[in-house]
Order: sequence, then C-alpha cells, then structure tokens
Amino acid sequence: MQIKNNSSKFQLGALMAPGLLIFALFTIYPIFRLLIASFHDWTLASMVKQPFVGWNNYKTVFSDKTFWISFENSIVYALVTVPGQMFLGLLVAILIDGIRKISVGFRVLNYLPVITSWVIVSLIFKYIFNTEGLLNYFLFNILHITSKNVRWLDFRWSGLWVAMFLGIWKGVGWNMVVFLAALQQVPKVLYEAAELDGCKSIRKFFAITLPSIKGSVLFAWVMLTIGAFNVYTSIKLITNGAPAHKTETLLTWMYYKAFSTGEFGYSAALSFIMALTLCFLAIIQFKIMKKKDE
Amino acid sequence: MKKFNGFLMMVLIVFLVAAPIIAQGANETTNKEIVLDFWHHYSAESAENKTLTEVLIPEFEKENPGIKVNAVSHEWAELHDKVLISASSSSLPDVARCDIAWLPEFEKMGILVPLDSEMNDFEEVSKGLLDSAMSTAIINDHYYGLALNTNSKILFYNTKMLKDAGVEVPNTMEEWEKTVKKLSGKNVKGQQVWGWNEPGLSAWNICPFIWSFGGALTNPEQTKASGYINSPETVKAVNTFASLYKEGALTGFNSGDIPMTDGFGTGRYAMMLEGPWKIAELAGAYPNVKYQTAPIPAGEGGSISVLGGEDIAMFNNANKDAAWKFMKFMTSDFAEVEMSKCGQIPVNKKALENPVVVEASFAPYLEAIKTAKARPTVASASKIDNELVVAMHEILDGEKTAQKAMDDLAVKVDALLAK
Repeated sequence: MQIKNNSSKFQLGALMAPGLLIFALFTIYPIFRLLIASFHDWTLASMVKQPFVGWNNYKTVFSDKTFWISFENSIVYALVTVPGQMFLGLLVAILIDGIRKISVGFRVLNYLPVITSWVIVSLIFKYIFNTEGLLNYFLFNILHITSKNVRWLDFRWSGLWVAMFLGIWKGVGWNMVVFLAALQQVPKVLYEAAELDGCKSIRKFFAITLPSIKGSVLFAWVMLTIGAFNVYTSIKLITNGAPAHKTETLLTWMYYKAFSTGEFGYSAALSFIMALTLCFLAIIQFKIMKKKDE
Repeated sequence: MKKFNGFLMMVLIVFLVAAPIIAQGANETTNKEIVLDFWHHYSAESAENKTLTEVLIPEFEKENPGIKVNAVSHEWAELHDKVLISASSSSLPDVARCDIAWLPEFEKMGILVPLDSEMNDFEEVSKGLLDSAMSTAIINDHYYGLALNTNSKILFYNTKMLKDAGVEVPNTMEEWEKTVKKLSGKNVKGQQVWGWNEPGLSAWNICPFIWSFGGALTNPEQTKASGYINSPETVKAVNTFASLYKEGALTGFNSGDIPMTDGFGTGRYAMMLEGPWKIAELAGAYPNVKYQTAPIPAGEGGSISVLGGEDIAMFNNANKDAAWKFMKFMTSDFAEVEMSKCGQIPVNKKALENPVVVEASFAPYLEAIKTAKARPTVASASKIDNELVVAMHEILDGEKTAQKAMDDLAVKVDALLAK
C-alpha cells in the first residue's frame, strides 16, 4: 500500500490517532506512572503527595521473605504447567491429526476447559480436593485406599499441585489448537519422502514434525510462561495463599500487598521486578530456539 | 447556517458547564446551620441504618436545632481506606463510627481529637460507659473516641453431642481440655468430629485462651512483649491449643476445613467461641441444631474473652462543639437502647439495665463484655497479628516448640512496638 500524497498521510494519521491515543492513555501512561510510583513511598496515607525514596521499595521487596516464597512458587508453577500443557497439547494434537472421523467432536471436547470460567472451575477443584471433598470421598469412603481424609489444600506443595493440575487441565485445549494448526501446515511430501527412505514413525516425528512446528512451539512457550506467572484466580480461590502466605504467587502477593495492606509503592516495585523477570525469560527462550535452528 | 450552528453549540456548552455550578450553590445550606458529616458502616439496608436515619438523627436534630447530620453509609473495609485517603486530601468528616482496631492507626496519623484533653465534660460522659469498652479508645494515655457498641465471644456448645458423650459443659480450662478430647473422634455415621472449632489463628482467636490461662501479649503500657508473650502462662495456653490440634481434637483454620457455621450446624464441631451474630446465622442456616451458650471457661487468669466493637471518634477538622453533642447523643441511654433493638450491644451503663436490653437475644454476652479485654491498641496491631499467625503455624506444624516460637515472636513484637 503506497502512501500517495500528503492528504492520504493525513487521513492515515487521523484514522490511527484515536486508537493510538487510547493506547497511550490507558496502557503506556499507567505503566510509566507506575514506574515513577515504584520510586516513591506510596501508601493509603500518602495518596496526595508521595515522598521520593529511590530504590527503597525494591530493597524492601528483595529482603522480604514472603516475596521469595511467592517467586519460588511462581517458578515452580511455570516449570510444571508450561511443559505439562505443551506436552499434553502436542500429544492430543497429533492424535487428532491422525483421525478423520469425529475429529471436530474431539477438538471441541478438548477445547471446552479453555473457555470455562476460571472462577467456576477453581471453586469446583476446591470442592473436589477439600479435606471432605469428592476426591477424598472416593479414596477414603468408597475405595478405602487411604486411612483417613487427605488434607490436600492445607499444605504448601499439595495445595500448589492442585492449582497446577487445574492450570494444565485448563490449558491443554489451547495448546492443542495451536499445534494442530501448525501440524496441518507441515507439507505432506516431507512425510512421503521419509517413508520412501524407510523412516519409522518416531524418527519422522523428531526429524520432520518437531522442526517444522518450531515457530508455534516458541510462540506457545513464551505465551504460556507469561500466563503461568500471571496465575491469580485459581490460587486465590483454592488456597488464598494459605497456610500463612506459603502458597502465594507473585500476582496474588502483589494484590494482597496493594489492596489488603495498602502498600502501593511495594506492589509497583514488585510488578516491575516481575516484568523484568519475564522479559529476561523471553529473551532466553528466544535464544534457545534460535540455537536449535543451527 | 454554519455560523449559527456554531453559536448554538457554544451556548449549549456554556450552559452545560454552568448548570452544575449553579445547582451546587443552591444546595448550600444557610449560614446559621451546621452540617455534621457522619461516616459509618451500618450497611445501607440494615435495621441499624433504618434506626439511625428514621429515629436517632431526627431526634438529635429536634433536640439541637441548627445542626443537621449528613450520615453516609460505607462498606466496612472501604470506610477504613477512605478515612486514610481523605486524611491526606483533608476531606475528612466530622465524626465517624470506627472499628476499635482502626483507632491506633488513625491516632498515629494525627487526625483524631484527644477527647479527654479537649472536651470539658469528658470525665462525666465516659463514666457512664463501660470501662472495658472504653479501654479500646485509650492510646498513649489519651482517649480518642467514645465506645459506641461492643461485642465479644462466648462458648457455644451442641447440647446433644455433649449429652451423648456424657460430659458437662466445661467451667474451667482443665475441664475444657478434657471435654474437647472426649467430644472428638467419630460420630455414628463414621464421620470425623472435633470437640472444638477455631476458624483462625490471629489475636481475635488465640487471645481468649492466652488471657484466661493468665498470660498476656504485652505489658500494660504496651511497650514490651518479651516476658509477656513468651511467659510460662502464655506458652502453656498456646501449647494446650497445639497439642489438642495434634491429637485431632480441634481444627477450623486450614484451607480445606469445614467452615465454622456449617460444621457446628451439622454436628461436626461440638463447641466454639463466637459473637452474637452467630445466633442469627444459625437461626437462618441451621435452625434445627440444639445448642446453648456459656461463658468462656476460666483458667488461671479468669474467664476472659476478647472485645470487639466500634467506637465513635472525632476528626480534628471537625466542628467540635456540634460533633461532641452528636457523639454524646449517640452514646446516650436513649440512642443505645434504640440500637440494641437491632442487635447492637450497648456500652452505656444505664442502657444495660434497661429491660429491653436485659432480655435481648444477646443477653448472654452482657456478662462477658464486663471482663473481656481489648487487643493491643497500637498502630502496628495488624502487623503483630500477622506475626502471631506465622508463629502459631510454626508451632502447629511442629517446626518449633511453643517456647521457641513465642521467644522468637517476642523479639519481633518488641521491634514492632518500638516503632
């Protein structure tokens, strides 16, 4: 599309201006403002004028034991749910790619969890894993496998596992869709050529399929990592950070600090620490994928 | 034509901008009338708010011509935040009904009026109100509010479960420990039952035990915790609680536990300590459960429960004379009895002798509020609370012994009290 003359340029500018303005006002400005806020002592008591405190908020965050617990929890959550979802999503995509009949039905069934409400499924999982919930009912009352009700939600790691299990279950469908689209783009001739050379299925997968869908894998990997660090609803509703803030993740801790204790400066600093971490991770992920190219 | 449209547009805009400004002016009251801004958290549809707006305020305005009360209802947590925010933008009201836990924080910001210093008849007014309730308004040796209403926690027990287990309601802490154990185990349906439910581990939950066992959180001046929060009596209280938990005789504060009302209403928890609101809750949700109430069992320190409630406080930008008149009215015999009809427990001594109050549904609480204690009235109270919860978890999870956990806690609380 060539921009022919000044009047067209002006038209273009005028048409883009409202969108850009909204973007600048509601996305760029708040981020910028928050960065400034992270260098000031901003609490409920200092809403009008905030004293400048330099790096203090960042120092407070880094010396806070609970921050490190939430950071650890977020990393574990990402390390478990991201590969989990991608692996299962790819598996389902390959399975569905290989069948002709009812494939639409299977696609819908697998995608349904993705479109459910986080709130509803979090509550359902809470009822399932409650000390007197559905799972314990099966294990204890019906199958008699356990000697008493297992307290899944009362401890740090078992509580996190419930949330991670929910995260994986809910994300498999999205990964399936992404990988299915990628799989269907792989030229069939490559497979035919490999067959002629006497290639077995497994070899075909690693030599042809995986390299061909690399772009989608990187895309999914980066998106899922950002999503994993942004987990909030499931943690809040299933454990609410209990016991004693041991199942907090970065976002739930940030929300608690901002809105339950009114320490906005701390939360602002925390949000930028989190953003930088995610940037850093994305760069690493891109570098790794680039390396695989060679 | 275009020019005419432009002119019309300008007139419209000027009118739209000017109209609200003119309207604002018309709303201002005449010079002689004083408008008192009163912020509270009686919920908008509640019986308390109805009483306030239809009975109390009209009566006050009748007795005090020239003063109008502008009462604004807020949600509890929002009111706390709004006061803090308004403080820095100098838009505070004259008077507010505050949760007793908020006063120390507000005092530290310097926005409350020390009533005992500035109001001439303060002594006389406060003498007519319960001492225990007034203790919630003393911060650094000055009174920053008048007690408005109070509440506490008393023992609720399932009469059928006690009868089936062959135990009487406990009167002492020793009996309590034995009874809780006897009531735990399995019921006829094979479900696990607990003798005691405690829905949390903060000061509101643990203090009744600490105090009744003879322990304390801090010294009376609230400057030191060492020697008090880790005293033998406090450690004994916490240890008793912890060992009962480890034996499976009590629960309620874990994420996966059955909620308090549901557990008590369905016969899974035999006993608990709760406030007057539970009576209405149980009547609504579980009308068939048979229970009675009793005072908290007495230990070495007596039968001491924890105080909750609200105070009424004045902010330092207020119209002080008018505000003080309103505060005296709200804590008067008449207003307190009217509010008692909505379930608010009065603090006015004369109101407490009124037959309406004596026979109210909260009558069992009237004894408890006389001896109940307030939690620390210091600005760092919520931070101390958080540390207490962490310490309790360490003990209950077996990470530390009770003595070690309380010793470590004492160091932390000392630092918080020093600020």
